[in-house]
This record gives sequence, structure tokens and C-alpha cells, in this order.
Amino acid sequence: MKIKIAYIVIFLLMLFILVPLASLFFANDLLSNQSFDTNNLFAFWEDDYFRQVIFFSLWQASLSTFLSIGIAVVVARAFAHYGHFPLRSLILGLFGLPLVVPAVVAVLGIVSVYGSQGWIPLGSKLYGINGILLAHLFFNIPLAVRLLLPVWNNIPQQYWRIGAQFGMTNWQQWRHIEWPALRETLPGVSVLIFMLCMTSFAVVLTLGGGPKSTTLEVAIYQSLRFDFNPAQAVLLAIIQLILSILITIIAAWFSRLPDVEANLHIHSQVVAQGNKLLSLLFILIAIIFVVSPLVAMLIDAAKGPVYQVLNDSKLWQAAAFSLLIGLSAASISIILGWILLSASAEKAYLGNKRMAQVFELSGSVVYVVPPLVVGTGLFILLSKWVNIFEWAILIVILINGIMGLPFVIRTLGAAMRQNTARYQRLCESLDISGWQRFKQIDFPLLRKPLGLSFALVTAMAMGDLGVIALFGTPETATLPLLLYQRLSAYQMPQAAVIAVFLLASCLLTFWLLERGISGKSSRKVGGEKNAGY
Amino acid sequence: MAKVAEKLAEKKMLVINELKYVYRNDNSYLPKKQKTLSDMKMCFNLQVKEGEILSIIGASGSGKTTLLNLIAGFLKPISGEILVNKQDISQLAIAKRPVTTVFQEHNLFPHLDVFTNIAIGIKPSLKLDKNEVKKISQALNDVGLSELEKRLPAQLSGGQRQRVALARTLVRKQKILLLDEPLAALGPAMREEIIELIKSLLKKNKMAALFVSHQPDDALIASERVAFIHDGKVLEIGEGQKILNNPKHSLIQEYLGG
Repeated sequence: MKIKIAYIVIFLLMLFILVPLASLFFANDLLSNQSFDTNNLFAFWEDDYFRQVIFFSLWQASLSTFLSIGIAVVVARAFAHYGHFPLRSLILGLFGLPLVVPAVVAVLGIVSVYGSQGWIPLGSKLYGINGILLAHLFFNIPLAVRLLLPVWNNIPQQYWRIGAQFGMTNWQQWRHIEWPALRETLPGVSVLIFMLCMTSFAVVLTLGGGPKSTTLEVAIYQSLRFDFNPAQAVLLAIIQLILSILITIIAAWFSRLPDVEANLHIHSQVVAQGNKLLSLLFILIAIIFVVSPLVAMLIDAAKGPVYQVLNDSKLWQAAAFSLLIGLSAASISIILGWILLSASAEKAYLGNKRMAQVFELSGSVVYVVPPLVVGTGLFILLSKWVNIFEWAILIVILINGIMGLPFVIRTLGAAMRQNTARYQRLCESLDISGWQRFKQIDFPLLRKPLGLSFALVTAMAMGDLGVIALFGTPETATLPLLLYQRLSAYQMPQAAVIAVFLLASCLLTFWLLERGISGKSSRKVGGEKNAGY
Repeated sequence: MAKVAEKLAEKKMLVINELKYVYRNDNSYLPKKQKTLSDMKMCFNLQVKEGEILSIIGASGSGKTTLLNLIAGFLKPISGEILVNKQDISQLAIAKRPVTTVFQEHNLFPHLDVFTNIAIGIKPSLKLDKNEVKKISQALNDVGLSELEKRLPAQLSGGQRQRVALARTLVRKQKILLLDEPLAALGPAMREEIIELIKSLLKKNKMAALFVSHQPDDALIASERVAFIHDGKVLEIGEGQKILNNPKHSLIQEYLGG
């Protein structure tokens, strides 16, 4: 039964992804477009605009990845070497914030620090590649630090001790102990960050500052909402899809992408040779870089028209829409993820590893398809029959729900597999199944990763400015869209207040959900920690 | 017993005098009311002569590995002496101590071949002169692995990996060898083979060794003398046959399953 439902889920998932994609390829408008010649599929390459957009997408993503990884390695190493840094857990917790901070909020923070009125005014230089890089670094340095730090934790203690006994210098320690461990993880983390930068929408939309700094995602949006040129949007979406698939293939070739982690328990007892002061300096610079946009934005908001914005009914309507989208999308992700992972864990338990992988991969495969590409497909497909703007909220919920699935799979997958491997036989022997099994066994043991993934998907969907920008109208504006509208109208004081409101909403929702679902008892059950993340 | 003490007096290579350390029990994961685990105050006294292996046995958590970590410098003692040929090494940096450790696992760096794994013990820069290269070949020959110098650790058996680690201790030419359960992952036949190898290498190179083991049988094969550690202290030290075959102390009887 469990397996049959999982097959139905896979079928529905494929339907939801493939039908919009197919509609891109078979769009009637496409065939009549000058850029698209069925006899010469690469005709678009002769168009300067397309070339420019593709080049800039790849360039900004490469540069962002290179800088993020380079800086993150230095910072993660500093954290690993300086094991007893004061408030270490708090700071690493803070580094988890960008996972939950909506991109458009971060943009406002960046403008607060580096904008013409900011602490380090870059003026008009902020808009374009500089602003995009700063925002991408804000998001990706903390993410990369959190993903890379476990590499140091996983280095066997013996290696550090042997290194110390042999009198290895700082450089020799890096060369013989750290780099060999790190080089296995770096490609996976790099590809993940490259992918995030390639599909970064809100940052480029708000900080791009013109046609010269436009990426594929933003170009798709502009083609649909401003140029009214669906054919061009379709072509761009196809190119984006092909690039995304290529990147994923490269990622799979290098290594598996790392798991999403929200908590990092560091057990750093390394006997590392290193300069504590230098480590401290790197850590402090990283903290200032990550915290300053948030602090600057808070200050701006405090000076802004708080009462006026909070009294605006549009804000509360947008908040209600955001919460509705967040909770509904997370519910969809969790239900689908649970079904797929249950089937996968059962297959793995029965020894059919291949099918177990198929179930798990089918949930992660949507990762390959950028949300905006699916959105474009749905836009083209549905616009023939219905007024798509009336369906905005439902479409946004569905796309965000499905796009949240890979996060659920990564957060919950390992714990669920382990749970089944440990307790399946016991449950069978005690005849515990169905609802009773979920209530008495699975939920108490898995509530921690379950709570985390639910909270994560909710916060991400609440802060999403990708799909809603495509389908949203002033009547159906969510908080990120409302914020974007204020930013576009250069109403910066109002924007700052809305940004803080949005950030607070996301953080509060994340905290309440994670705490509410994870509960305190998850640690007590059987005295065992839930592994897997 | 008297004979052994006489022999010891001849040439004590390693002397541990009132070496004190406090092992802090991590109660952080326990609920407040259950934080009953107290810190363990350790104090070690023992002596090992040149060419001798002293086996250290005791239950898990008794302080066996902590003792080795204190001697190697991985942990800092509160007070006490670690004398190697009458020189106190307790305040020396890890790299300056005349000590080499062989662990249960992870002795070899996975990305380096056998030869380089040994070479790194001489010079971490790996810039070797001809004489050093010759020494490594000789050490590989001594442990019977001269044909396998190009292999990576993953291409070796558990026993072969421990042989490489022993070959490295030979080229490092340190006086004290600390063996932290080096046989735990090996089968019975291989264990005996490695013990014999350690014994012969030790005599040939005039070293002294502390051999931590969970297996009383291994301790008996490896050494004449055995020290039984309990609660961070040497409860009994002396001839292995007497201590293990005829245990007087109830804690040792309990440990041996009597």
C-alpha cells in the first residue's frame, strides 16, 4: 500500500513538472519567433541579448562561487582551529540565519550598508555585479561555512595527533590533513552554491541595475511581465533548464550534494597549529559581514514610518497570504516527502537499494528544475484557459511545496532510513503499524528532523520572491512582493519596515514551528539522538 | 617479583611519578537532576625499562588511553613527572617529546602511499635525503612490506596497515613507543604476529613501550609485566602471569569475568 501511494506521488510529481516543461517546448508562439529556428537550434546564440544574458548568468555565478568558497574555507578553518571561541554555538547558529532570511530582505540590508545612504557608501557602483556579489556572499559564505565545518569535525583525531607528534607546521597540517579531507567535499559544495547563484532571482532583480547585469531568471521574468514576449521567455527558460541539468550532472559526477543542516554540534578538540589571533580576526570579519546588513536594516526600520506601515491593511493581508503560502507549501512538501521516504526506507530495509534510491531521487529531482522555469511553463500553459493571476496563490503554493521537497528529503531522509533499519523488525514483531506506528514510534523519534524541515520549507516559501513575482498582482501580493514593490518605487523607509516585519515573521514562524513540532521530548525518547543531520 | 624489580633498577627508561590529571565528565546531555557523574581524579606511577613492553589493562573508562595521552602531550597533566632517561618531558611540546604513538586505526593518511606515510614521520616536508630514503626501505624490509611501498592504505589489510605504522616508528627513532590498542581491529593470528614483530623491533631499537589492550591474553603474550588500571590509578603492577592467572584483587577478578 505504502509503495503504491509512493508510485502515485511520483506520477503526480512528474506530471506537475513535465507538463509545464512540455508546454515550453511545444508553445505555438515559439515556432513563429525569429530567434527560434527549428532547423538551427542554436540560432539564439547569434542574438546579442541572449549571449549577454547567458554569459552574465554564468559569470556572476562563477565569481560568487569562487569568492564564497574561498572565504568560507578560511572562516571554517578558523572556526575549526579555534575550538573554544566564545559564543561559538551562537555565532554558528547565526550563520544558519541566511537559510531563513528571504533574499529580498537581505538585499535591503545590503542597500542599508552599501547604498548611497549606507555605512560604506558604494553609490551607483552597488548596482550591478558588485551588489550581486555582496548579496551572494552574504548568503553563501555562512552556508558554505556550515557545510564545510563538518569536514574538520570528521577528520579523525588521530591525524591531528600524529601531525603534532611529527611536528607538522601549519602549512603541512593543511597540506597533509585538511586539504585531502576538504577536496572531497569542495566540488559538491561549490556546485550547490553555483546552482543557487545561477537561479538567484530576487538578488539580481533588485541589485542587477540594468540589462547589462541580467541573468536568465530575471530575463524570463522581464520577458513575461514587462516585454510581453512569451516566446523569448520560453527560450530563456529552456536554456536555463538545460544549464541546470548540466550543472546537476556535473554535481552528480563530482560527488553527492551535502545534506542540509540546521544545527551544528561542534566537537572540536583538534590539536591544530594555528595563530589564534588570526583565526579570531577571520571569524570577527565574517561576523561583521553577515550581521551588519541585518543591523543596518533594523536601524533604518526603527527610523522609518513604523506606525504607518503597520497600520496599513495591505501589510496584514500580505502577511496572511505569506503565512498561508508557507504553511500550505510546507504541508505539501512534508506529506509528499514522508510518503516517498517511507517507501524508500521500506525498500532499503528489504534490501532493494536501487528502488530505495529511485524513490528518494524522485523527490530530489525537482531540484534540477528552477522554480521560475516551472512557473513559466504553467504561465504559458494555463494562460490560454484561465486568468492565471486569479490562481496566483494556489500556483505559488504548489510550486513552493514541490520545490521544498528536496529539502525535506535531505533533512528527513537519513533519520528515516535509520529509524526503519532499527525498529522495523521490532514493530513487526509487536504488530505496531499504520497510525499507531506513526503516533507511538515514528513521530516521537523523527519529530526533530520533521520539525526542522517543516519550519525550513515554511520560512523559505514565505520569503520567496520568484514565482509570486511572476503571478502576483497588487491584490495577491505577499510580503516579499510588497517589499519589492516598495523597493521599486524607491520608498526605502517603508521598505525597511516591511523588510524587518517580513524577517521577523519568517524567524518567528520558523522558531515556533521548529520548537512546536520538534518539542523537548525528542531527545528523551530511548535516550537516543535522532541521527541524520 | 623481586627479580623483576632488580632488573628494573638496572635501566629505567620511562618513569612516571605522581602524574595527576582530572578527567571531567561531560554531564551536559543529562537532565539537571541526574548530573551525578563526578569528575575522575587520576594519579599514575609506573616504570618501564629499556627494551621492555609494559601492558596496561583495565576496564573501559579506567584511564588507560588518558595515561598514553598524558605521556604523548595530547593532554596536559596538573602535576607530576614523566622521566625519559631521567629527563622530565612533561613540559615539552608534543613534537619535542621522544615519543611515537600507534593507534588502533587511522595511523596512515589515506591519500599517501606506504612509502610517503613512513617518510612523513621523518620529515613532514617530505624532502628526504638519500640516507633517509634508505632508512625507509630498511624499515619496510624489517616489517616485511618492501614490495608494497607504492600501495595506498586502502589497498592494505588491517595487519599490513599496522605494520606500516610500526615501520614508521622505527624510522622516527624515538625512545618511547605508545601502543593504544593497536591490535583491536585484527584477527587472533594476526594479533600474535604483530606482537612478535613489536617485541623484536623494540629489542633491536632499544625502545620502551606501553601497550594498552582490552585482551588479557594479548597482554600476556606481549609482556612479562602488566599494570592493571582502575579509576585513574595503577591498582596492581607486576608479573602478568601472577596478576592475570591468580588475581588477588576483587576488581581484577571482576574484570576477568571471575
